[in-house]
Amino acid sequence: MIQRLVSSEFFVLALCVLLLAGLGPFTPGLLSAENLTNVLAAMLPLLLVAAGQTVVLIGGGIDLSATAIIAFTSVTGAKIMTLSGGWMPGHPAAVPVAAGVMLLAGFLIGLANGIAIAWLRMSAFIVTMTSLMAVSGLTVWATESKNIADLPAGFLALGQRPPSALAIAGGSLILIHVLLTKSIFGRWLHAIGHNARTARVSGVPVPAVTALSYAVSGLSAGAAAILLTGRLETGSPVLGQTMMLDIIGAAVIGGSSLFGGRGNVLWTVSGVLFLTLLDNALNLRGLSHFVIMMIKGAVILLAAGLDTLRRSGQTE
Amino acid sequence: MKRAALLLLDHAVVVLFAGVLLIFGFLAPGFLSWASLGNLLIQSSPTAILAVGMTFVLMVAGVDLSVGAAMAVAAAVAGKMMLGGWSMPLALGAMLLIGTACGLINGLLVTRLKIAAFIATLGTLWLGRGCALWITETRAMNLPDSFLHLGSSRLFGIPLPGIVCAMVLAAGHFLLERTPFGRQLRATGHSAEAAAKAGINVRRLLTIAYVICGLCAALGGILALAQLGAVSPKFGLNREFAAIAAAVLGGTSLFGGRGSVFPGSLLGAALIQSVENGLVAINANPYLYPVVTSAVIFLAVLLDTLRQRFRAGMTRQIFQETESEANSAAVT
Amino acid sequence: MGALLEIQNLTKAFHGVPVLRGVSFKIQPGGITGLAGGNGAGKSTLMNLVGGNLRPDSGVMRLDGQVYEPANSAAAARAGISFVHQELNLFPNLTLAENLFLTDFPTRGFWISRSALSRQAAVLLAKVGLAYPPDLPLERLTPGERQLVEIAKALHGRPNLIILDEPTTSLSPPECERLFKLVRALQAEGCAFVFISHALGDVLRLCDHILVLRDGAVADQGAAKDFNIARLVTSMAGREVRQLFPERAERTVNAEVLLEVRGINQPGVVRDISFTLRRGEILGLSGLMGAGRTELAGLLFGLTPHRSGEIFLNGKKLRGGPRPRIRAGMALLTESRGEDGICAGASVNDNILLATLPAHARGPLGWLSSARLKPVVSDVSESVHLQTKRQGGEPIRRLSGGNQQKAVLARWLLAKPQVLILDEPTRGIDAAAKFEIYQLILALAAAGTGVILISSEQEELLALSDRILVMSRGRLSGEFVRPDFNPELLLRAALAHHHSNPEVPA
Repeated sequence: MIQRLVSSEFFVLALCVLLLAGLGPFTPGLLSAENLTNVLAAMLPLLLVAAGQTVVLIGGGIDLSATAIIAFTSVTGAKIMTLSGGWMPGHPAAVPVAAGVMLLAGFLIGLANGIAIAWLRMSAFIVTMTSLMAVSGLTVWATESKNIADLPAGFLALGQRPPSALAIAGGSLILIHVLLTKSIFGRWLHAIGHNARTARVSGVPVPAVTALSYAVSGLSAGAAAILLTGRLETGSPVLGQTMMLDIIGAAVIGGSSLFGGRGNVLWTVSGVLFLTLLDNALNLRGLSHFVIMMIKGAVILLAAGLDTLRRSGQTE
Repeated sequence: MKRAALLLLDHAVVVLFAGVLLIFGFLAPGFLSWASLGNLLIQSSPTAILAVGMTFVLMVAGVDLSVGAAMAVAAAVAGKMMLGGWSMPLALGAMLLIGTACGLINGLLVTRLKIAAFIATLGTLWLGRGCALWITETRAMNLPDSFLHLGSSRLFGIPLPGIVCAMVLAAGHFLLERTPFGRQLRATGHSAEAAAKAGINVRRLLTIAYVICGLCAALGGILALAQLGAVSPKFGLNREFAAIAAAVLGGTSLFGGRGSVFPGSLLGAALIQSVENGLVAINANPYLYPVVTSAVIFLAVLLDTLRQRFRAGMTRQIFQETESEANSAAVT
Repeated sequence: MGALLEIQNLTKAFHGVPVLRGVSFKIQPGGITGLAGGNGAGKSTLMNLVGGNLRPDSGVMRLDGQVYEPANSAAAARAGISFVHQELNLFPNLTLAENLFLTDFPTRGFWISRSALSRQAAVLLAKVGLAYPPDLPLERLTPGERQLVEIAKALHGRPNLIILDEPTTSLSPPECERLFKLVRALQAEGCAFVFISHALGDVLRLCDHILVLRDGAVADQGAAKDFNIARLVTSMAGREVRQLFPERAERTVNAEVLLEVRGINQPGVVRDISFTLRRGEILGLSGLMGAGRTELAGLLFGLTPHRSGEIFLNGKKLRGGPRPRIRAGMALLTESRGEDGICAGASVNDNILLATLPAHARGPLGWLSSARLKPVVSDVSESVHLQTKRQGGEPIRRLSGGNQQKAVLARWLLAKPQVLILDEPTRGIDAAAKFEIYQLILALAAAGTGVILISSEQEELLALSDRILVMSRGRLSGEFVRPDFNPELLLRAALAHHHSNPEVPA
């Protein structure tokens, strides 16, 4: 019975409802329309990166560099369009160019990771770990650890106005989801995650598909950076630095496997929703950030423990 | 030609290490002095000790992302104790105990709840970090001078950290190479399923590996504290990456079953530290340190990957050709 | 003299499904009992009960007259019963000695006593006739030699009974002979054996008593001299089975050359390989383990590179990896299904479709329509008689070995290959599924596909091939055209380049 419940696809969504129902009455403001809109807006960037991470996890890899990509693209985009000392201050094309460069930069860094992993056959953990260190180091060095403010209003609106942010995030999510479930890329990626050798023998272009999965992760990190930078109104070299746990945690809580072959963007959405609601509720209750850290760490462990239960339920 | 390439690849880390020393020695006179090299070894000892512990975990295809957090919790408690008037030996004992406990928790999460090591230790990383911030109230604590003396005192003319590091390396090495436990650990790393079938108590073995890693985290934390003399909220931050990198540079595989404590872990840690010390010696922009360090790690791992592919290409041969066979082939 | 092991009315069920329904038999001291039965007959379950890996639901086992209830495999070993599993349980990253004593190192205090370890290991290795230093890494040994190491490990506990589960599947004929000689030598010392095998000829040759299981019950048993293949097969199948191999229609092979291999060389792997394959021909590839047959298949399929030589399919030169070669009309069913044949966790249907997805993808992003894919899968599943529970929606690892292999075959049938390379297509598969696979191979050839059949079962090659090539140490050492097949000449060709004794592998 418990196993049936836990292995249901809607388990995490049920947890979200439980969380709202359980904490709502004792947490003033949690259930207000304004707060829920806030939660929605706050979860969009995380949703994007976590979806990208899900793609990589399905292929049996891991991308630790996503947070560094967010910081790097945030700073790059801001440098292009900032009104104080930018490369294209006040230019009408500044916002689209900046957004385009951010996406491209994310894609390229991800692709570089992917090439090292797929063709040089280095371990994904090491490649993306060194990429995390190098890219965030470069970002901090180039900006001397300073934020870049004075961004054009047009760009801020991208990340702040709910319709546009929702459109960017929702559109990307649907695209990734459909790619994973309905396209040949998705099937190939699942096969690689299950058994890369079988995939190769069956004619799957393993290196290209693997590299592309990291590029998608980088691209989605770049898209998340657009939303995050817009929300914070500055390009920050430490943007997203503390998001790693949320990114991987959301994917794993949703039910994606760290061992490849199993994952789904919709599951990840519920994982993100859960983590964001939890964070929000704890914040509203006035807990200090280190207590929230501890609770989140414990929740991730709990979720992973439940996942074990879920897996053992499936093999029976 | 092929032999030379293979020899170079087989000792890529040594070659890189020599290269780094030579380049910085050339750029910054004095970098290659005995005092500076001795310093290098002392400074790399915390990372080397962490890498020893990490080697045990990586050996069984696990990973421990929480070593930095374990260091921080242990240091925070020790700091509080010493400022509260407890004696230093008690505080050190508490650190070791906390490290062991952290390792035990990780081990139980991995073996009992069967959580993937990456996620389990990512969770305890956050638990530990939050805990350390809570204990220190997010403020830095200056430790009594006795702690700094610990770092600079000498026994038979050798700095104490060096002795501790050598002892940990020796203990780790002999444990891994010369005891039934170590050999069973290696077997388990190759295949936990096969090890269980062979009658090895895999759960206990894995748990002990994580406990050793936690204990090493505490020991490394003690040495790092003795060098800094203060507990800051960021103490031990990202140390897990250095530890994993040092172990991997030392030839330990992330997929289990392959690796060594000595000389592997020491060499890896010394390489990382030499890059950092060299950058200090040439007055490089501190913001650049992680960039250069990660580039060196990347290069070393790339070379190791190439070596393995090269080797695999050679062992793909299924029989040894005799001289005459090879010659006849050359003629045709 | 009483029985060594006496088993009465053992039953065992998994999740309410009975696997053993009251099995009784006796094993005499120093006897070799052959255990035969189709897949799912309960052989493994029965031996796992004896070996202490499982516990019976009811029934009694007596060892030397005492009630025997092993709690685990270690307890069974203490009682003198060793189990050598089909999947070798060895560690290539350890030395021979470490493998032998992994759970029982001779120690001096805390440390391993290295001198005692290598002394004791040398004794065990000598018993099985392996003349290697005990500190040699296991990874240097061939599969056959590893099998001997596994038996040496079993001997460590001075067992009275050794259970050998499919010990010969990965052995070459000379290695089999070596193993059988060893078994007889140990039998002479008073050790009893249970020998589980699909290779019925081996069972008859080696054993002195035979036990046949069917559907979890004893279907037949008796002295080996009273058995022949026909009786064995009949008892296993429960009905009169006329033949092991399907009737081969008389036909002439088309003269058209499909595949041409010219002068392939790869140092240490293959040397000067040239041959042709015609449309509709079944070309058998024979040779000892390690002769380079699997490697040649991988090379033809582009999995590994070769230094010189050319391969032409329909006159077009093949280049690159598996992908372009599949497109050119080639397919390879690999030797080790679990390692590179299936995606174990993926569904049966996804496994079947894996190689032919590009043909069904539409548009620049490669959309796949599940409505369109469904009939494709169900048609091909039907044509290979694939048995699944949830229309192929379940993970493929839940299928039997035979059904998994049929699914992999189905994958390649969808690709409509002109050249199909089959590497040990019937390994570890029960007789019924084997028969169906043979029928499929013959039907494919009749329809014009060129088949390269690699097999270590000589009867299989003799029954199916139009022509047999023999490999030895990476070279072609013989060619035989139907009907001039001669088992003895085949073996002689397989040994052609083996002049010296094997040394310590480098």
